[in-house]
Amino acid sequence: MVPSLAIIGIDFLKAFAVAMFAMNVGVILTWVERRMRGMIQDSVGPNRAAIPVPGFVAAGLATGPAFLLAGSVLYLAFGSELPESEDAVFYGKLMLQAGVLVGWVTLAAIARSAQESGARNPLEQAIASLGSPRGIALGGVLLQVALLMIVPLLIGEVLTGPLLLTIGALALAGTAVAGAGHVGAALSSQKTVRITLLGLLHPAADGLKTVFKADFVPPKSDQFLYNLAPWISFFPTLVLLAVVPFGPALCFGKGEDGQIDLSAFQGIEAPGQMCEASRLSLQVADLNVGILYFFAMAGTGIVGAALAGWASDNKFSLLGGMRAASQMVSYEVTLGLTVVGLLMVYGTVRIDEMVLWQANNTWGIFVQPFAFFLFLAAAIAETKRIPFDIPEGESEVVAGYFTEYAGMKFSMFFFSEFIAVVSSSTLIAALFLGGWHVPFMTAEGIIVTIGDSELFRSEVSSGALVALGALTFIVKIIALCVLQVIIRWTLPRFRYDQLMRLGWRKLLPASLFNLAVTAVLILAADGASAGVKESLERAAELSMLGVGVAVIVGALALVVFLFAPRNKRIILATSAARYAQALGGTREAKLEA
Amino acid sequence: MEALDIDLDESEVELAIEPMLVNVGPSHPAMHGTVRCVMELSGEAITRVDVQVGYLHRGFEKMCERGTWSQVFPYVDRCNYVSPMLNNVGFALACEKMLGMEVPERCQWYRMALGELARISDHLTCDGAMAMELGAFTPFLWMVKARDMIWDIMEEETGARLTHSFGRVGGMAKPPTTGFKEHARAVIDQVLKIVNESEGLLLGNRIFLDRLEGVGIISAEDAVSLGWTGPCLRAAGVAYDVRKAHPYMKYSEVEFDVPVGKTSDCLDRFLIRLEEIRQSIRIIRQCLDRMPDSGPINIEDPRVMLPPKESVYTTIEDTIRHFKIIMEGLKIPAGEVYSYTEGGNGELGFYLVSDGSGTPYRVRIRPPCFLVTGGLERVITGQMMADVVPCFGSLNMIGGECDR
Repeated sequence: MVPSLAIIGIDFLKAFAVAMFAMNVGVILTWVERRMRGMIQDSVGPNRAAIPVPGFVAAGLATGPAFLLAGSVLYLAFGSELPESEDAVFYGKLMLQAGVLVGWVTLAAIARSAQESGARNPLEQAIASLGSPRGIALGGVLLQVALLMIVPLLIGEVLTGPLLLTIGALALAGTAVAGAGHVGAALSSQKTVRITLLGLLHPAADGLKTVFKADFVPPKSDQFLYNLAPWISFFPTLVLLAVVPFGPALCFGKGEDGQIDLSAFQGIEAPGQMCEASRLSLQVADLNVGILYFFAMAGTGIVGAALAGWASDNKFSLLGGMRAASQMVSYEVTLGLTVVGLLMVYGTVRIDEMVLWQANNTWGIFVQPFAFFLFLAAAIAETKRIPFDIPEGESEVVAGYFTEYAGMKFSMFFFSEFIAVVSSSTLIAALFLGGWHVPFMTAEGIIVTIGDSELFRSEVSSGALVALGALTFIVKIIALCVLQVIIRWTLPRFRYDQLMRLGWRKLLPASLFNLAVTAVLILAADGASAGVKESLERAAELSMLGVGVAVIVGALALVVFLFAPRNKRIILATSAARYAQALGGTREAKLEA
Repeated sequence: MEALDIDLDESEVELAIEPMLVNVGPSHPAMHGTVRCVMELSGEAITRVDVQVGYLHRGFEKMCERGTWSQVFPYVDRCNYVSPMLNNVGFALACEKMLGMEVPERCQWYRMALGELARISDHLTCDGAMAMELGAFTPFLWMVKARDMIWDIMEEETGARLTHSFGRVGGMAKPPTTGFKEHARAVIDQVLKIVNESEGLLLGNRIFLDRLEGVGIISAEDAVSLGWTGPCLRAAGVAYDVRKAHPYMKYSEVEFDVPVGKTSDCLDRFLIRLEEIRQSIRIIRQCLDRMPDSGPINIEDPRVMLPPKESVYTTIEDTIRHFKIIMEGLKIPAGEVYSYTEGGNGELGFYLVSDGSGTPYRVRIRPPCFLVTGGLERVITGQMMADVVPCFGSLNMIGGECDR
């Protein structure tokens, strides 16, 4: 069966999207790491790379998308058939929320800039007098929550779908145009504007710079292996993500030729609905070996490190390469054995089916909590980062296996480490944290049911569910990445023998023990009475409810934390500090040399 | 199946094994400063090691013989550049011992307060760098932040953050600033907080303890026979602190404890330094309480001290006096003296020989680091390659002081 051109195009798109995702998160992680170091030191961090553009171009870049958004929103509300359809209420609510969001963000930003560098015109003066930026933001969030509560109650006779859609569209278009117009006006008055993207351009510029660096090759090294090693190290980490689903599979009808019919969309594959005819999975490669492919590729990375160490003709590289090889082989055993427990529970090696199992029952972390921590430890060891970074432990073996590498070859090693963090986080999120699954997400929407009683029901269209799923997955991945970065900045590294002891004497027996206990428990659960099975199902639902509550509480705590006033006490004891304060403080000082 | 190697000799089966010689340093991340260790490795274990110092030798002692006595201060600043104030005070005390003079009480308290602040900054740097080299970056940045607060005090008092050149024979370059006490009190509270926080982060961490416990052990006898002093010797269980054993300035009048280690491993050296920070804070509090707010800071002796600027410009006697002290240097009677104080790393001694002129005949500095580094070989032989990092870090070799 020859796949159609459309399918090949979609596959290509998926591969491109996943590779871009991994590389971009890698860049962002680099930035986060350096920013983290900057924050601990109370300094600004790397943010000097910028693209200078003329003011009117910057204004166009800022206002163009906003006008496009406003135009399409107005078209949806007044020019299309949407107001008559059933989705009017949903889109109306969405637009209203988005409009309020854009509104308060713009107001808070204007108030902040007026507070810091003075109001430029009476309008800004008036906005700044509304309250502090923090207060405006808090008010905006409260308004959003209030709208979320009140609007569903009002829908009925007075507030019909089309009316809500009109209000929402006007709100979003109005705030977007007003906000962008204000920004555009401010930008166009400047001669040149430096676009820095919050400093994100800095790691990108650093990466680009290494391409042009001298490509040093040690004269007595094994030239072929030396040049091959970075590729063997880099490539596997990138293709690891091919078997991970980034969202629920899409169900389509079958065409007459037996092929998938992309025009006949039938919804998503989620609890409550399985694909009948043909499915389009949101993963690059629909391999039936699933997680085994992941291990095969992750294992290949060892070869790159070992080759680099061997081929470099340097004793430190050799030490680092040996360390890398022995460490990664040791931890791969634990990594594999912890997953065997999961395989027994899920009954499949395909990651998309594992995620579906978790969506139908409960997340992996609740059925295999012990395995989660073992897997996390082993995964960090696989990525060769602190506390397991002995292959490149910079204070002992200089830079380990890539001591002799310079330029782009060095940055391939460097970057493959960050991508390995992303791919290991992705795998942990997919295996233990439910992948794209949001608690109580079904094919119809979010329906909270405990036992037979339905507590909450919010029907969401399939497209929105896919978007929600993918977004949730990305949030989970980024949270795990941040966790790994925090670990990296806090913990010291092991010694070689301690690392081996931990791997073989502690993690390995622990994972075997986990395996045995899991097997016994599965047998026990299979042979248990109906009442026990019933209570297990309740427990699974309660665990999901717990996750939901924890997420809401966490989000509230984050909001409270972000909006709590900061009491920064600055001791101005030295003459230098007083002098700096008199000049306007050092905190906001420009980093211009 | 028959084994393939059945008719081979044992020696033919085994691969030829020879130890790997690795040059660690002089430019290597573990060798802060410039020390070179030639190591013989068997796998990861160090079987033999040859420690070579001297890569930072700049001939300070010889250079000291060229200028006046006062011009030695900038050189001693650059010996232990992490706690230069202690070197300043140490050299000033040595000169004053030769002159048979004692500085006013206010100056003594002031020197003690500044010196203990410098000791805190020394210990903070050492412990922080030790943690950082083991990979724990956060505590290092916290400790350096605390050190920066101390350097803010130094900057305010002396005008320089690192190399103060603030000591003078017979006093200090300037009296304390009006806000000194308030500033120092505010800072030591912050420093104490940061030290407690960092200690909690590190000592609650199994990995960190595993890396330090039982690593780099040296017996008390060895430490004494090698001439170790300071925190490293005290970690070996010998309670020798110059401030207690041979008190100078007002150390006999302040209360403080000398912490002593039990096992003499890297963890002990780490803990001793943390505890000494707390003891130094205790001393500083007492100094600040007892330092008079007014009174002379310098000896009022026309042979040693420069006259005030106003009279230099208005009276001929003081112009001549100023000229002679600047051009010829203050005269120190002929003779020799060995004066020793407790520096950041141990006993910092100055052996001075004067021929009665304004220029030193010989300035011999006894750096604590040099003797401590002499024990490095004994400490790391038999350890693993990775253990060099905490061992070398806990000895706190300061290149400028060791090689001079």
